[in-house]
Amino acid sequence: MLQIAGILLMMLGLYGILTNRNIIKIILALNILEIGLNIFIISIGFVRGGEAPLFSSEVSSNALVFVDPLPQALVLTAIVIGVGTTALGLAFAKQIYAKYQTFELDEMGEE
Amino acid sequence: MNIALFVAVPLGLAFVSILHKKLAPILLVVASLFILVALSFTEYGITIIGGFDAPYGIVLLLDPYRLLGLYIVNILFFIVIMLNLKTYQKMSTILLVSLAGLNGLLMTGDLFNLFVFLEISGISAYLITSTNKNPLASFQYLVAGTLGSSLYLFGLILLYAMFGTLNIGDLATQIGVLDNKSVVLLPFLLMFLGFGVEVKLLPLNSWVKGILSSANTLSGPMIASVYAAAMSLVFGRILNDLFVFEGRFQLIVSFILLLSILAGEAMAYQSTKIKEILLYSSVAQAGLVILLFVSGLASWSLFMVMANAISKMILFMVIAEAAKDGKDDLSSLKGLFVKNKTIGLSFTFASLSVIGLPLFMGFVVKMNALEFLFAEQLYLAITAILLASVVEGIYFIRMLLELWSSSEHSFTFPAKMQYILIVLALVLVFFGLTIEPIEALKDGIESTLHGGALWLV
Repeated sequence: MLQIAGILLMMLGLYGILTNRNIIKIILALNILEIGLNIFIISIGFVRGGEAPLFSSEVSSNALVFVDPLPQALVLTAIVIGVGTTALGLAFAKQIYAKYQTFELDEMGEE
Repeated sequence: MNIALFVAVPLGLAFVSILHKKLAPILLVVASLFILVALSFTEYGITIIGGFDAPYGIVLLLDPYRLLGLYIVNILFFIVIMLNLKTYQKMSTILLVSLAGLNGLLMTGDLFNLFVFLEISGISAYLITSTNKNPLASFQYLVAGTLGSSLYLFGLILLYAMFGTLNIGDLATQIGVLDNKSVVLLPFLLMFLGFGVEVKLLPLNSWVKGILSSANTLSGPMIASVYAAAMSLVFGRILNDLFVFEGRFQLIVSFILLLSILAGEAMAYQSTKIKEILLYSSVAQAGLVILLFVSGLASWSLFMVMANAISKMILFMVIAEAAKDGKDDLSSLKGLFVKNKTIGLSFTFASLSVIGLPLFMGFVVKMNALEFLFAEQLYLAITAILLASVVEGIYFIRMLLELWSSSEHSFTFPAKMQYILIVLALVLVFFGLTIEPIEALKDGIESTLHGGALWLV
């Protein structure tokens, strides 16, 4: 279920990137795609009834089923990169607005 | 010498350069020089990062293929920054980050780590293109690049879900023993599309036109030569080590690449702006390189990447300098080389090498590749190379005739650029005349190309 939700969000994001003609909306669509992807990655490590794999002198677990912690670490990195890209995209959007006075691709007079 | 330093030193100096902005250009030169010197003190092998043995931890690898890749990328990178240091001082920090990203890309043995380096070098590439003063093109590049790396990430996570590992060598071993290889088609396709954006394959290269048609002396050579070389080498390595191309799948991929090559050449042929001719030509060249990798010809593809990177560096540097005012029509640059004979000679050598005429490196590479392809009976790739060479011949010669024609053009190039570019052009001639160094390199590269022995400790 979680995986289907992730893929649906990705498809939604992809559709948004391909059909939108507004810079800000394209950045939003890109973020939706990334969130979908992140949910999908998390879902790979999910195990029903699994516990967090924590081991230390204070916390110990006798559980037999653990969730996979690696996808969570991957998602953390992917989120950080996503934020960086979004910030850069918004900076470009600001420059574009300063140059053309609009966010609409169709009103800029060039491709 | 620990090879992790090739990533750590530029990245560390990038942080220092934020604190001491005036020192930034010096730090950039220091980092770049350090890597160039350190490359000759490195040994082949595996470096484990974080204390976890492969396949559990991240590893960096160095073998003859990667070392040659590092040499190509770092030498060309150094040349680009030396020619642009004064004009683009503000970009020093970004260039340091991109240097770290590119070196990491070439050395890493872990798929997710590769994604991180892809994004680091990608983000710095978007910023480098912002010097073009064309924010819309940079934005389109950012969207395409992010989409590409998301697809790549999707593919790699599917592979992780199937095999439980991200180490490329471990994955290759596990995929090698699979009975039904069609289960890995979807992740391969996604990763292929993702990398296709970065190496400018059709139809994923809509960003190229905006970026390279307004390129300057920093962004043009950087994207068309340095980045193109690094991305092709990494993509090629993944194609060679990990992907399984068999039967109908290989035919389909080869056919798409053939279309990419022909479309690129056709668009270059009908264009009258020099930058557009060069950018469409590099689209076609990228397709050709990947086609050679897909055909299982990794060593000669590597040399083709090298020849292309040197040629594109010269071509883009010359045109970006001459067309500073934005006029890059063939007619407005007519007779450009009449007063600039040294630059003209470098430009001519580079073009002739791209076409693949004898005496130049491009010829040696194309000839040997064709020999191999004939032996393997891969006629689709042979058609691609021959057709591409003919069309390239026509539009490059047409362009050269215009640029050398007798009408006077008042533009003169800086002396520093003249000397550096003629040396680069002579490198093309050197490798075109003597085959021994290439043969020696090739034997070393091929001994470590096949089989995942070096990947695992």
